Amino acid sequence: MSAPLPTNPVAETGSETALSRILQVWRPQYTRLITGMVIAELAVCAGLALMGQAGGRIAGAAVGAGAAYLLLRLSGVSQIVLRYFERLYTHDAMFRALADLRVWFYRKLAGGAAAGLGFQRSGDLLTRLVSDVQTLDNLYLRILVPLVSALLTLPIATLVWMRAGTEAGLLTGALFAVLAFILPLMGARLSRRFGPDILRAESELRIAALDLTSGLREARAFGAEDVLAAAVTDRQETLFKAQRRQQTRMALMQGFAGLIAKAGIAVILCAVAGLLFPQAPAIAGITALFVAITVLEGVTGLARAGLLSGQVSHAAQRIVEIADRAPPAPEGNAPLPAGRDLRLENVTFRWTPDRDPIFRDLNLTLRQGERAALIGPSGAGKSSLAALILKAASPEQGRILLGGTDITTLRDSDLRSQIAWLSQASHLFDDTVRGNLLLGRTDIPDTALWAALDQARIADVVRNLPDGLDTWIGEGGSKLSGGQGRRIALARVLLSDAPILVLDEPATGLDAETERAFLETLNNATEGRSVLLIAHRLTGVEKLDRIWRLEDGQVISSAC
Amino acid sequence: MKADKTIAKAWVKAQGRASRSRTSVVVVLGLLSTLLGLLQAWALARTLASVLTRDTDSTGPAIGVFLLACVLRVILSTIQDMTAASAGIHARRRLRREVLDRIIGEGPALLRRHHSAAIAATLVDRIEALDGYFARWLPAASLWLVSQWLVVIALYVENHQAGLILAACCAMLPIFQAVFGIATAVASRKQFLAMNRLQTRFLDRVKGIATIVLSGGTDRETQALAKSADDLRQRTMKVLRIAFLASATTDVAMVAALVLIVVTQAHTLMGHPSDAVLTRALYAVLLVPEAFASFRALSAAYQDRAHATAAAEAMHELAPLTERTAAGPDVLQTKGGISVTAENVSFAWDEQRGTVIHDVSFVLPAGATLILEGASGAGKSTLLELLLGFVSPSQGRILFDGQDMQSLSPRQISSRISWIGQKPVLFAGTIRENILFARPDASAEDLDRAVSAAAVDQYLSSLPDGLETRIGEGGFGLSGGQAQRIAIARAYLKDAPLLLLDEPTSHLDPKTEAEILVSLKDLAKGRTVILCSHSAQARQFQGWHLVLDAGRAIAFTGEAA
Repeated sequence: MSAPLPTNPVAETGSETALSRILQVWRPQYTRLITGMVIAELAVCAGLALMGQAGGRIAGAAVGAGAAYLLLRLSGVSQIVLRYFERLYTHDAMFRALADLRVWFYRKLAGGAAAGLGFQRSGDLLTRLVSDVQTLDNLYLRILVPLVSALLTLPIATLVWMRAGTEAGLLTGALFAVLAFILPLMGARLSRRFGPDILRAESELRIAALDLTSGLREARAFGAEDVLAAAVTDRQETLFKAQRRQQTRMALMQGFAGLIAKAGIAVILCAVAGLLFPQAPAIAGITALFVAITVLEGVTGLARAGLLSGQVSHAAQRIVEIADRAPPAPEGNAPLPAGRDLRLENVTFRWTPDRDPIFRDLNLTLRQGERAALIGPSGAGKSSLAALILKAASPEQGRILLGGTDITTLRDSDLRSQIAWLSQASHLFDDTVRGNLLLGRTDIPDTALWAALDQARIADVVRNLPDGLDTWIGEGGSKLSGGQGRRIALARVLLSDAPILVLDEPATGLDAETERAFLETLNNATEGRSVLLIAHRLTGVEKLDRIWRLEDGQVISSAC
Repeated sequence: MKADKTIAKAWVKAQGRASRSRTSVVVVLGLLSTLLGLLQAWALARTLASVLTRDTDSTGPAIGVFLLACVLRVILSTIQDMTAASAGIHARRRLRREVLDRIIGEGPALLRRHHSAAIAATLVDRIEALDGYFARWLPAASLWLVSQWLVVIALYVENHQAGLILAACCAMLPIFQAVFGIATAVASRKQFLAMNRLQTRFLDRVKGIATIVLSGGTDRETQALAKSADDLRQRTMKVLRIAFLASATTDVAMVAALVLIVVTQAHTLMGHPSDAVLTRALYAVLLVPEAFASFRALSAAYQDRAHATAAAEAMHELAPLTERTAAGPDVLQTKGGISVTAENVSFAWDEQRGTVIHDVSFVLPAGATLILEGASGAGKSTLLELLLGFVSPSQGRILFDGQDMQSLSPRQISSRISWIGQKPVLFAGTIRENILFARPDASAEDLDRAVSAAAVDQYLSSLPDGLETRIGEGGFGLSGGQAQRIAIARAYLKDAPLLLLDEPTSHLDPKTEAEILVSLKDLAKGRTVILCSHSAQARQFQGWHLVLDAGRAIAFTGEAA
């Protein structure tokens, strides 16, 4: 059930709304973001004044005008100081904005699509999204700041240029506008045109690489390493071809930008020399020329920002798309009922409208304290049952009742305090054992932690770890064995007082024997609670009151 | 840590050497571009001087030279861009080949130490991230000093006073870099690490979001996230305050050069300067930005260098390159299986974890079946990996038909064995490709025979495109039983004399398990079989039993079980 990334070319309107959504999230930081842009512009102006003064002073000395260097020195010092504060201030503003974006995205994800995504196990999709958030730091630092500053520089520079002659000044201003606004737009279009090809080629390469690395055993056993390696190098060539196309276009465009910048300089130079344009006054003309050299060279690189903007808007669109997924079920505020019977009435469900329903008219009752298993073939969508019960997804038809109350009328937090979830997808965080058990709670004493670890039969292992409860367990629990990690996750579930446990393929991925040992632990540890075990097969060690078999979306047997 | 750094440095250096020829093309183009920049500045100075001294005759030609130099320079830098891009591509191609060879050379043992996704990330993303290192950093690093001093000397030749001022300011750069550069390097590394840590934390929390949401921890986690992001900002800004000072010193050097040159040159221009004096003064002012341009290009590529260090560390974790022995022609008897002998085999993954296989010996005649038994962790999987040749015994030897495995190439070993594990890896591609994987040159009849022998044809009709249905990543999902049948079809197609089975049905539901076992027993006919399994499956097979306990063979019983 992997959710493929959208690789369609991004529609212009879509990316624009996505970017404006991101900008809205940044609203609390507007003052800072704008101040940063103003400082950036002042720094540009100081640089412009510095070069202008440099040219003007030399010309002035040559024609015997007075030589005052105060402005030159002042603009020099201002440039140094302003550049420093620009860097500092814009970075600070960007960090704040990015932090806001992370929090906003996290909250959205948690409220809406998150649970569904978690159930659909699209870890790669989530990874991509996280790096998308990171990509957005370019939006402010490399796109907005230079673009806004170019916009503010345009009238100032044009005024300076017009002192060398109205026509020449306006013409150079127009060339500046082409450089600063039209070429970046072309860059963005280029990236829209080639971006999807490159993305597709990259993801194909990634698949081929993953085929090779995860299939290393097969490859060695069948002597087929070269076949798989050839697939990698083939895909690589496709990627390189796409990249080369874009790079060539980009280099040509950059060259074109260079020519336009030189054309702007040439226009002012002609005005200074009195060729084609009426001759400019010497000092004003040379000042204008030096300003033109500085400013036009400065915006030549903006075409690349256009290219970047393609990537950024892609990223923004993916983020907004995920964040805007509606929460699966509305939240009510009915009080928690007294009973703990769980009932599904005529439930029909599918993840997306274009797929077949996973459940058709499903009816189930799990009585308080009862232990039941739902068995069905892999890939039949049994996990969706856990998602439905926990309101991470909502049924197309039918309803789900807890103690006789429809769960859509309950508060999400109330419902989830009653039902604990353990699955193969239960995540172990890159944190300590304690951090993994508590998940941020502070109201639980160590004795309770040890009791839960004891029940999960992992207490001895934890006691022997170098720092006990405070041992770091690594990414995804990588410092523990698979079975040990699963037991830590179990201890976390046992720590909650939830009377109903949903165990969704809790032992999948463990080797056969570790799996049996783990299931045996489960039998004892879950005593006294209702248990719903979702599995594709039973190993024979599970203690159960009932077994339901799922076939074609319906329960076909309910015996034990 | 320090050793790692040295290794990383050595690696980065070696990369620089390997790309030297392509880098030098970019560097030569860059030098030519600097020379054109000198011509450009000189022509412009000449034009302006002629205008200021009203020497209108020389204005036209000077503008002509200026424009020509401009156009040539633009063309040159376009070519430079393209050359740099292709240098990047070339270097990535070479690196990926190298990493591929390392991965294949090390083989499945690599998976014991690294997650397959992490290796794939090194192979794809790490190398892609190095584009900037080869396309931008390397040329900029070898170009900047030469280019800068070329400008300084060119100025000195024309204008001694200005040349000396520019030389002094440029000489300040390395001093400033030495003072602030060290701080910057440390700072940027720290910042990189802190940034990475936050990124990792965020990713970790996002991946585990279902767990957090379902345990009611959303608010706590959101607050923690906001706090850690803010902490990071504050710490990073402290560091950046120093780091940006380093960039500011470049500005100081340039502004100082500019102001000093303007002030001193304006002084020489008092009265009515000659055309030549004026040209030299303007030339000096125009060359100041040119002198610092190459250093700016280098600073802009600084981030690319950080990627190289990170990549070096990732590559270092992969095994060093080993020579692969070319497989000679290998005639072997496939009918009736081969005999397998283990002589006092011991094995340890590494010294810390100790020996996992102790002195195991057995003799299995051709065509016989051996069932490996023992509790979890008794060493069954390790023994199987030894038999597969994924790892070699620390002591003792394993013989196939009397031939020591050590003397066989990986290809020769793989031609003798078929292997079916707990879950077969299906590759992105069609079912046909996935089966043919075992023997790409198999005929259509052979393929058909394997498909029907493995009963793959029983479910083909339920798939959208039959044998051409795409499976694996991004394709159609197969059930565990369907996938296992593809593995069986592969084994039929391969038709190797030794069949190794590693709990082949442990992930299947009971009904499917029974069906698969029937197919496996068919496949086992006329082959030597080694089965690693728990008892329920083993009951279906008869043969020798080897019971392992903590890596030792505690029982080896005969055929009549």
